[in-house]
Amino acid sequence: MTGAAQAGVLEPWEVFRREKDGDPMKHGGSVMAPDSVLALHYAREMYSRRQESVHLWVVRRTDIHDLADLDLLQPPLDRSFKKPGGYVMRDKLAAAREQSGESKPRANKGAR
Amino acid sequence: MTDDGGTEPLAMDFEGAGDGRERALALLLLSMADDEFVIGFSDSEWTGIGPILEEDVAISSLAQDELGHAQALYGLLADGVADDRDADTWAYDRPPEGYLHARLLDHHRGDWAATIARRYLYDTADSTRLEAVAGTSYQPLRELVAKIRREERYHLMHVQTWIERLADAGGESRARLIAALTTMGPDAGTVLAPLPGETALVRHGLVTEPFQTMDERWRDGVGVTFRRLGLAELPATADPASARSGHSNAFRALHAEFTMVRLSEVGATW
Amino acid sequence: MTDPLALDPVLPLTERSALPFNDEQLDHDERYRHFEEHVTGGGKVESTDWMPDEYRTAVLRFVEMHANSELMGVLPEREWIMRAPTLRRKLALTAKVQDEVGHAQLLYRVAEDLGKPREAMIQDLLAGKTKFHNVFHYPTKSWADIGIIAWLVDAAAIVAQQALRDSSYAPYARTMKKICWEESVHIMHGRDVVLTMATGTADQRASIQEALDRWWGPLMQMHGPRSDRAKDRDLHWRIKAKTSEELRQEFLGIYVPRIREIGLTLPDPDLALDPATGVWGYGEPDWNELRTVVTNHGPKSQERLDFRRANWDATQWVRDAILSAPRAAVA
Repeated sequence: MTGAAQAGVLEPWEVFRREKDGDPMKHGGSVMAPDSVLALHYAREMYSRRQESVHLWVVRRTDIHDLADLDLLQPPLDRSFKKPGGYVMRDKLAAAREQSGESKPRANKGAR
Repeated sequence: MTDDGGTEPLAMDFEGAGDGRERALALLLLSMADDEFVIGFSDSEWTGIGPILEEDVAISSLAQDELGHAQALYGLLADGVADDRDADTWAYDRPPEGYLHARLLDHHRGDWAATIARRYLYDTADSTRLEAVAGTSYQPLRELVAKIRREERYHLMHVQTWIERLADAGGESRARLIAALTTMGPDAGTVLAPLPGETALVRHGLVTEPFQTMDERWRDGVGVTFRRLGLAELPATADPASARSGHSNAFRALHAEFTMVRLSEVGATW
Repeated sequence: MTDPLALDPVLPLTERSALPFNDEQLDHDERYRHFEEHVTGGGKVESTDWMPDEYRTAVLRFVEMHANSELMGVLPEREWIMRAPTLRRKLALTAKVQDEVGHAQLLYRVAEDLGKPREAMIQDLLAGKTKFHNVFHYPTKSWADIGIIAWLVDAAAIVAQQALRDSSYAPYARTMKKICWEESVHIMHGRDVVLTMATGTADQRASIQEALDRWWGPLMQMHGPRSDRAKDRDLHWRIKAKTSEELRQEFLGIYVPRIREIGLTLPDPDLALDPATGVWGYGEPDWNELRTVVTNHGPKSQERLDFRRANWDATQWVRDAILSAPRAAVA
């Protein structure tokens, strides 16, 4: 395990935790530690002492590059074509059903 | 360049065209929309075949942004022109010679270096134009441009990263970039070539500075990057009077492609 | 803070030592037994866990083919991005194809962590050594195909993918959750295209019906021939949860009524639900065609591989330039 920070210098480490098998890693919080080994020890204390995690990661905060610019993440123009709500088919479906002489889907209908 | 552009093959039906304001506004909107529409098509040609999977996804987003801007600008035009044309009619139902995009965008897609060169030249010029339109007296455009500028920030960040990397990588990469800039350089300034009706645009505050001023400001900015990367200065704009007319065969081929389905059943809903 | 020394040894980052198969002291057969017990009992496996070669190879093969299919699946639809008839359709189709490229990226990442580099996977795909799904070997002949693919090919795929959200290989399962969410939008885009044409002009309706007739055979083949549950190692390892026939039945159960209710017909006179058993009967799919197609002898197999290869070669210089470029100064 590498934890080659300057000895004796405390710095923040961000903690990611997995709550149960199969879950994604989620950010939990952070700890102050002089190296990755101690950061893991502290993360264990802070984020799993009640057995609330099955897996932890620590990442030196300065190794995280962040992006929180809403112009880039939530651009203002319409993106509805990328979302389910952007497709409203009720009227077309009603028209198609009427045209084909059906009033509602018949899941149990046999062959034509 | 004349003020009335009377020979343009477009029927502008803005109300109160007396002092040229409405016609000039329509040409401004149409030129901006067509620019975004055509570059959006060029970029979307990379969708699925980008050089790196992650970059493939990125260039598709740029394409969608540009097409979204085009859609919104055509929408403003449709709102302002009192006939039954909607954004799609404006976008699709004109002959090739009816499009007002800049000649810079007439070059075929080319390789990745050509795409980056075109994007760099266009995005920097477009950004300068958007600055000059941000304070426009036409409120719907002012509101739209405020949104567009927020999205274009990422485009500039993206293309700046790429032009630097292609230039700094040396070898084949730099040679391809230089070749692309050499081919497109004389057409780069067509984005900011004066529009017919420029006098009216400025007089009515539709743009806050003349195109000549935009062009100078844009060249200053590009010059800083090009000098840092050791690239040759951009040449003067070739044939500025036909900056947005007489389109290339590459564009005619593109036009044939993007109207193919629509023309297969004229008037149908798609 | 507690005295850190009291906590030694801390849970290592790269291995979950609590799971017995991660215990390096045990011999291989014992680890294998523990691993098999864990997985068949519904346990999850992370990329950093120890795993038997058989499991690693099976997951890799499965995920790699999925990734290849996303990457090759881009091409049939991509041809129509430039021809989309309205701005909104153009945006939706560009976004859909973009998502497929994104899925390829996500899946190749999962596969890469199992030990095979992306470049090697792409080279094997281009050399015809690895496969991609049958439906991506066929031509797209009309705009109606775009609707049928986005609606029904994606629907058949999502039926399979939903069953993978519970895969024993956790990185794959998590990826499938994201992919399924995105695919659901594709299906809506496709269904909207189909509905618009089905309620449109006579020519549009005919075009949709013709596309459906053409795609139905490949759709029925897509999940593969019936297989013996007991002999399927991917099921044993819980890499996947359902047999091909279970997936096909699920697809038919949901989509046949939705297809028929809008006045479209299906080109299989034997297609019928047995009300007593709830099982769909159908004319036997052409398994010979499936074998021919997935071994790259389909109508568009070679053309698509050639196209992919030509583009990969033409952009090699970009990858070289980026990989050799001096890194930005690190703070």
